Amino acid sequence: MSEIILRTTNLGKHYKDRWAARDINLEVHRGDVFGFLGPNGAGKSTSIRMILSLIKPTTGTVELFGHDLFTQRERALHNVAGIVEKPDFYLYLSAYRNMQIAGSLTLGTTPENIKIMETLETVGLAERALDKVKTFSHGMKQRLGIAQALLCDPLLIMLDEPTNGLDPQGMKEVRELITKLTNDRGITVFLSSHLLNEVEQVATRMAIINKGKMIVQGSVEELLKTNANKILIHAEPVRRAKSVVEKMEYVGGVAQTEDGIVAQIDPKHVPAVVKELVAAKCKVYSIQPKHSLEEYFLEKTTES
Amino acid sequence: MFNLIYWELFKTYAKWRTYIGFIAVGVLIPVIMWIMWIEGGKFIQYQLRTLQSEFLITGNLFNGWVIAQIIMNGLWVHVPALIALVAGDQLSGEATAGTFRLTLIRPVSRTKILNAKYIATLLYTASLVSTIAFFSVGLGLWIFGTGDLIAMDKEGIVILSESNLAVHFLFAYTLAIWSMFVVASLAFFISSFVENAIGPIIITMTIIAIFYIITFLPVESVESIKPWLFTTHMNVWQQALRDPYDWVIIRNSVLILGGYNAAFWAATLWIFKRKDILS
Repeated sequence: MSEIILRTTNLGKHYKDRWAARDINLEVHRGDVFGFLGPNGAGKSTSIRMILSLIKPTTGTVELFGHDLFTQRERALHNVAGIVEKPDFYLYLSAYRNMQIAGSLTLGTTPENIKIMETLETVGLAERALDKVKTFSHGMKQRLGIAQALLCDPLLIMLDEPTNGLDPQGMKEVRELITKLTNDRGITVFLSSHLLNEVEQVATRMAIINKGKMIVQGSVEELLKTNANKILIHAEPVRRAKSVVEKMEYVGGVAQTEDGIVAQIDPKHVPAVVKELVAAKCKVYSIQPKHSLEEYFLEKTTES
Repeated sequence: MFNLIYWELFKTYAKWRTYIGFIAVGVLIPVIMWIMWIEGGKFIQYQLRTLQSEFLITGNLFNGWVIAQIIMNGLWVHVPALIALVAGDQLSGEATAGTFRLTLIRPVSRTKILNAKYIATLLYTASLVSTIAFFSVGLGLWIFGTGDLIAMDKEGIVILSESNLAVHFLFAYTLAIWSMFVVASLAFFISSFVENAIGPIIITMTIIAIFYIITFLPVESVESIKPWLFTTHMNVWQQALRDPYDWVIIRNSVLILGGYNAAFWAATLWIFKRKDILS
């Protein structure tokens, strides 16, 4: 098992009449792309703000690279960078000046010109380095935010909804960048999102949070295994199709849903199922695997 | 720390609003001087009419030093607003823009960030008062020439020799900077719990106005609190245009103003360290 670089223990934040987050126990390993999932208002941003010391928790502790955030703040945050919600900048300054300011806050000294330009190059903004940020599009600001995060060679990057407001192309670029950061630079990425498809494509481990409480945590592969081999059958008439499927010995967990018949079937038996349905004079319109993260997420958040 | 202060100053002076004060001073003072020049000393003669009936006054009484003193007396009400304009934006401006999410997740303590901002605010205040000094004295001496200064207040009149006036004015502007630090500290303090830049300016000016009203209110019940109001000591710079100096008054005023500075800074730090960044 690789080293745990972020650990939260019973982390919670209570406002006047409610808990925004409660008993959040996260473990992020070095090299993970950690997906932090939850519907809007689940407590993702509050948790991230506590981890990055923007919000003082009501309960619990945060440990980053073995250092307690509240007693050794500077050491704990030394190798951490992040973007909380949308990246914000000094709009009246150029991208280059914004990079200098962000870098000097981490390094204690103004970063070298070559380093800044290299980082801007990585996100495709080198040519706009001297332009004021107020002239940038949302996508460019997002990329500049990532450049600021990368500038001081962090070992952990926390990204809170990094593709919010981006067009499909921008989302794809951010996903590719995340994969590149992990593969090429060995950076651990903590990625919060309510866009499940996005997380499914890049995350290696994940946690789901709902109504301020953490529901589940583990490797994406392991967690999705519980939903493995689920197939959605769209066939008519539904009753007859269901009774045919139920009688097959290699089929389990048959249930009728709004979308069709859901059943647990090993993929190798799918052709036989189709054959039986056709023989029973059922019209088979589609057969879809039903083990996506979305299914899992909806199942877990509905349960909670 | 120097790096942090450098970038706070850079951000402060990169904003358009920072120059409003300098532009106001740069326009207002030459206009006042132009009016004075056209008037040709009538104002001074009017002020000294009682003295002239009793004494024989010779030399250039309508000189640059006198003009500088008149301007300082006249502008003293307006300068706090110009200071609050920038000082009140230091923390609230970042909260509004969301840039605290950029700065406060870095491995620098909030105390250091706040101190860098506070020092930058004080340096801005000093630079604005220095600009007033430069325009008032520099332009005044250039246009109206030099001479002795007749300083008057409720205690009487003092005639200061031309040869010592540079030192007196240097001291006066130093004390003026010190008293304006209180305005800057107050606006800075208010900006720590307000999330827009207008609020601190309005609240600061309201507090100053209320304190001024109390200071000049001829009511016995408020006499005991008057010595403790910072507005009572804001004109301490006038003590530098005395000979000899009344060091007891100067020391008391400097200490009370310093106390306010320290109190506002400590309160700001206390709030800022506990502040949840939700914007």
